[in-house]
Amino acid sequence: FCFLGGFDAEEDLVGSLASMSSNERVKAIQKMPKTMRQKREIRNKVLKEITKKSRHRGAQCTQGVAVSFQRFGNTLSECFQQLQPWHKTLKIIGAEFGTSVLSYFVFLKWLLNLNIFSFLINFGFITIPQFLAAEPNNLSFTGLELLTGAGYFQQTVLYYGFYTNATISKVENGPSYNMQLAYIFTVGIYFVISFLILLFSMARFFSRNFVKLTKAFSVNASKLLCTWDFNITNEKAVKLQQKNLLTQIKEDLTEVNKEVLNFSVKERVGRIATHLLAWVVSLATAVAASTGVYFLSINNLELFMKGYSNDLQRQTAMLVLPVIVSLLNTLIPFFFSWLGHLEKFQTPGQHIYVTIIRNTILKMSIVGILCYYWLNIVATSESQCWETLVGQDIYRLVLVDFIFCLLGSFFGEFLRRIIGTTVCVSLGLPEFDIGRNVLDLIYAQTVTWIGILFSPLLPGIQMIAFLIVFFVKKVSLMRNCQPPRKVWRTAQMTTSFIFLLFCPSFLGVLSVIGVTVWRLKPSEECGPFRGLPSMYASVDEWIQILESYTVSKWVVWIYHNLISSELFFFIISTVVLIVIYLYWQIIQARKTMTKLLRNQILN
Amino acid sequence: MGNKQTIFTQEQLDAYQDCTFFTRKEILRLFHRYRDLAPQLVPLDYSDKPAVTLPYELIGSMPELKDNPFRQRIAEVFSEHGDGNMTLEDFLDMFSVLSEMAPRDLKAYYAFKIYDFNNDDYICKSDLEKTVNKLTRNELTPEEVSLVCEKVIYEADVDNDGKLSLADFQHMIVRAPDFL
Repeated sequence: FCFLGGFDAEEDLVGSLASMSSNERVKAIQKMPKTMRQKREIRNKVLKEITKKSRHRGAQCTQGVAVSFQRFGNTLSECFQQLQPWHKTLKIIGAEFGTSVLSYFVFLKWLLNLNIFSFLINFGFITIPQFLAAEPNNLSFTGLELLTGAGYFQQTVLYYGFYTNATISKVENGPSYNMQLAYIFTVGIYFVISFLILLFSMARFFSRNFVKLTKAFSVNASKLLCTWDFNITNEKAVKLQQKNLLTQIKEDLTEVNKEVLNFSVKERVGRIATHLLAWVVSLATAVAASTGVYFLSINNLELFMKGYSNDLQRQTAMLVLPVIVSLLNTLIPFFFSWLGHLEKFQTPGQHIYVTIIRNTILKMSIVGILCYYWLNIVATSESQCWETLVGQDIYRLVLVDFIFCLLGSFFGEFLRRIIGTTVCVSLGLPEFDIGRNVLDLIYAQTVTWIGILFSPLLPGIQMIAFLIVFFVKKVSLMRNCQPPRKVWRTAQMTTSFIFLLFCPSFLGVLSVIGVTVWRLKPSEECGPFRGLPSMYASVDEWIQILESYTVSKWVVWIYHNLISSELFFFIISTVVLIVIYLYWQIIQARKTMTKLLRNQILN
Repeated sequence: MGNKQTIFTQEQLDAYQDCTFFTRKEILRLFHRYRDLAPQLVPLDYSDKPAVTLPYELIGSMPELKDNPFRQRIAEVFSEHGDGNMTLEDFLDMFSVLSEMAPRDLKAYYAFKIYDFNNDDYICKSDLEKTVNKLTRNELTPEEVSLVCEKVIYEADVDNDGKLSLADFQHMIVRAPDFL
């Protein structure tokens, strides 16, 4: 009986495989947990079945076409894989240092791709048309401009101020290119696409990793059976991982005895007081840093507006602000991690999370205060072209941050290794600090996003910076660092980092851009929006022009009734809230069902 | 991109591409790795399907597996007779499942078989004890090992039979995002 039963099951399998499309069939065969020999037998049976079916319908040649098409698809995907850069490098890093360090480099590569995409869009749609209508540049070029971004670069496509507000046309009465609309739509569509990309990445990570965060169920079992990193092939890294697991298991075993011990009320109050004090100190530090930056930047602006004494002096004075900001961003995190060591956290995971949150608050408050300064003070000052000023500030910030990143790698890893191996051997080799490096990347990307509106080629500069950072970090990692000794939950951490990139960083940038486009008055004499009451007014004007053509009446209708009407957004929000509520109820029902089923299995 | 190689027939290559997650180039590269382990045993022409098996000692000396504490179990799970000696097809199978392109549930299925030392389709307490010892280089005392194994079974055993079945294991994998 069993033999017949097995035979039937295989017939069913062959039948179902034969009826799938060739792509799905290949995927299904690949996923089967059988040996190669069994898979090949099944595949041969399926192919015979397909030939039998096609002979019935007399479509023999289509099968030959399908096979050659599939072979072509295979070679195409092979070529595409070749184009993926650094595939081998990433594999080597993963093998020597584990998946946690690899996640930093994967994140860096992802941000690099985002910047390449944004650079291509801006260059293609805004800069290239501008080249056709370029005004001549009379300023001289000294080498210092590369550092300060001022001087010669002021009259180039690097900054907002250079772009014309005219409608460019090469040929008289030929096709014309409206620079105003191009500028605002390119920037707008880029941000919409980035929003969607970030949202989908975040959702994908959440759906995979959020299940763990709900319950502390089977913590020990998963720690034992699921966390071994099979990617590692370096002997030293394997030994470190084993030692790590050993320490964790020993800690868990001793905790079993410690669980009985409850903290007395006095101790609990003491712990809470320590934590509160540490938080107050960190927030006070962040506020103090922001205030310092604010007053320094106001001072900077005054100096810029009045002092034209020596060109060289003025240019170097402009570098003071970015250097101070980068110094604060580099040194204060060390203070925070020292603070974290003083407070005794219950688990190392808590320590990591608290330090990351504090660093994020620091960096975001500095960026926030700079945005406030740019949008409220610089925009309303009497300078000729405030957008170019802001663009220059951001350029300097990005460049100095990049230099500090390289310096940090030099001091933090290279010198530390020399100290750790020759002078003070007990320290040992340094470890790669994943959290600090990822937060640096998020900060750099935030500043780049803010600068896109004021300096369209900034993503290109950031792209080059990221490339150099990748190589420097990789070389420094291989030569100077040892594999991480502490526990680092990669999946959870990557989800948190993408969430940090989305929530304070990208949404903050969107609000800054929103305020700039809707509320601020562009400068009178430069840029594509000169003379208009706000940047958004160009869209209003365009809609008014469109109203006179009957062909495009539907665009005008969409604009008036969907995009700029509040009733529509109100209705959409209500619908979205209702859908969320329904999904929430479905989830609750499913949870009850899971509980019932689990009880059934137990009994 | 034509048929420049003479090791396999086109039909064999198509079959390998359909049954593993590798591209044509990767299959050829893996063949050369397999051959480099014992050039005198492995012929350069596989079109007549020679029955060549490499012993476990050669497989276990590969740099990718040499430091893995589970290399012997991995070789045993993927070999044809369960003794660690692998043919080329077993070799391709093993690397296909261990590669990054294999889906998680396929890896979970094979991980279960790797941890199941006595091949009885259940991870019982003795299997877990061997796993713990391999993961911690035998540095825990037997009482500690026993305690850890009891905790694991208590947490992960859903149907309460004292050992972990494939369903229990997969249930645990779903909740463990760090599983590679």
